[in-house]
Amino acid sequence: MKSISLYQDKNTVIHRIDPLSKILYILVAIIVPFLLASQIASAAFILVSIIILLMGKSLKRTVPMLGFSGLILITVVIIQGIFRPDNVTPALVLGSVVFYKEGLLFALGISLNVINILMSFSILVLTTKPSDMVETFVRMGLSPKLGYVLSSVFQIIPQMTETMATITDAQRSRGMETEGNLTTRVKAFFPLISPVVMNSLITTKERAIALEVRGFDSKQKKTFLTEVKKTRSEKVIKIVLAAVLILSLIGRVLIWLR
Amino acid sequence: MAKIVVEHLKYRYPLTDELALKDISFTIEPGEFIGIIGENNAGKSTLCQALVGIIPNFYKGAYGGKVFIDDLEVAKHSISEVCRKVGIVFQNPFNQVTGSKLTVYEEIAFGLENMGLSRTEMMERIDYSLKLLDIYQYKDRNPFDLSGGQMQRMAIASIIAMRPEVIILDEPTSQLDPQGSEEVFRAVQSLSQEGISILMVEHKMEKIAAYSDRVMLLKDGKMVAFDTPQKVFSLENLEQYGVNAPAFTRICKKLGIKNQKNGCYPVTLEEAEGAINLLKNGGIADE
Ligand SMILES: Nc1ncnc2c1ncn2[C@@H]1O[C@H](COP(=O)(O)OP(=O)(O)OP(=O)(O)O)[C@@H](O)[C@H]1O
Ligand SMILES: [Mg+2]
Repeated sequence: MKSISLYQDKNTVIHRIDPLSKILYILVAIIVPFLLASQIASAAFILVSIIILLMGKSLKRTVPMLGFSGLILITVVIIQGIFRPDNVTPALVLGSVVFYKEGLLFALGISLNVINILMSFSILVLTTKPSDMVETFVRMGLSPKLGYVLSSVFQIIPQMTETMATITDAQRSRGMETEGNLTTRVKAFFPLISPVVMNSLITTKERAIALEVRGFDSKQKKTFLTEVKKTRSEKVIKIVLAAVLILSLIGRVLIWLR
Repeated sequence: MAKIVVEHLKYRYPLTDELALKDISFTIEPGEFIGIIGENNAGKSTLCQALVGIIPNFYKGAYGGKVFIDDLEVAKHSISEVCRKVGIVFQNPFNQVTGSKLTVYEEIAFGLENMGLSRTEMMERIDYSLKLLDIYQYKDRNPFDLSGGQMQRMAIASIIAMRPEVIILDEPTSQLDPQGSEEVFRAVQSLSQEGISILMVEHKMEKIAAYSDRVMLLKDGKMVAFDTPQKVFSLENLEQYGVNAPAFTRICKKLGIKNQKNGCYPVTLEEAEGAINLLKNGGIADE
């Protein structure tokens, strides 16, 4: 089945880490460089994220995301490098275009921040089963109903695209034109959409009933099939992350006191 | 184990004029296997939904009468309370997949998580029901990647794992091949032998005849018969109710062969064979 989630099932240490630790990592990776106002910290976290993604065999999958944000970051570099108001020191002259040091450094800071955030989120998104991620949120207090909606999106949307494809095939095999210029496509869309909508309305009602008879609306406190891992290493990871956060807080205070 | 008592049940869907259930009363003892038959739109599915409380909790409309599962009055409790005692499996297995779980194993756990069971209890029940329905080997598959028959067995396993005292199945075998439906009937029968009451809507009359303790015949929202398969399928005006008796019964009817013991036409192959042998031997049973 097609999947709309970016997650890929691989058997690595990183995949087995508790999603909560990964969420904690995101927080630490974003907050610490902010507290210390340090680009070196950002760079360091990027490096750590790259190592973690390598261990999770998922670094390659960040490329499309980086490529997309790269486009935006390049425009930031160009605009800030050339037009930033406090630009004084020329750094690079390309014909009649002058890039200034101040603007480039500023753009570098932004780029590091964006890439850092992107990479740390990638660890969570690329190496955590969507359902585990949602379950972690539900354990943390998210309503099970919202949790259901979130995790079913990952399954039911691909399912709906498949229904669409089936119906298009059926209509095409009965001689309907579904490809070609825009008007043909638009004309083909309406007969397609009504069975799909009808189909999903009926499906939705029946599925709602099927969920109810499995106690979805129960006032009973939910339990979970998957166990929260309470291994020593999970604890160590969380403690280390918390320690980094606290140390950087202390660092921030020291900077203020100076 | 639970006893089902239905008293003067009446129901009309919203925005419709005619009653879909017209003054239905009956009692079902624990462990009985009940076949529910009747033509299209007779009200079979409506009755099933009323027994679980989907009617009147999910579908509103006009409701009268009472449904009791032991001393629990269905209309006065939420579906999530009733579903601990009564499980229901529907016709379309695809629409019974929750869509929020990635494996068959987790899918079955869905109901158990909602019941608040412990992890060990869950795993024990999931293993049991997967094995009972013979789908243990698919436990790590994505639910949507199963065939129709496998998916339906998963739907049944999901309900069985919740250990209800009554299980209702509304045309559960319509997506299955003959072997698959035989397996489902066997699994369900073994549950009824453990004291779980079974109510099954089914169009395959041979199967109903072979497995049911009693057969309920519905027509236009009314219960027109509720008796042993022999008595129901021997009714003279059965065709008027839009139901065909099992092939064996029809043949014996044409030939005028009755089972000497109960004066009804035979409903299964074995029974027909017995009755014919009896005739051949001139009315003396050959033991
Ligand atoms: N959701 C609904 N809203 C309004 N009327 C309904 C609804 N569902 C069923 N009905 C009507 O109630 C009556 C009984 O339908 P029901 O589905 O119970 O029949 P059935 O015996 O299960 O038929 P089938 O063999 O086709 O499954 C029919 O006249 C039907 O049109
Ligand atoms: Mg029906």
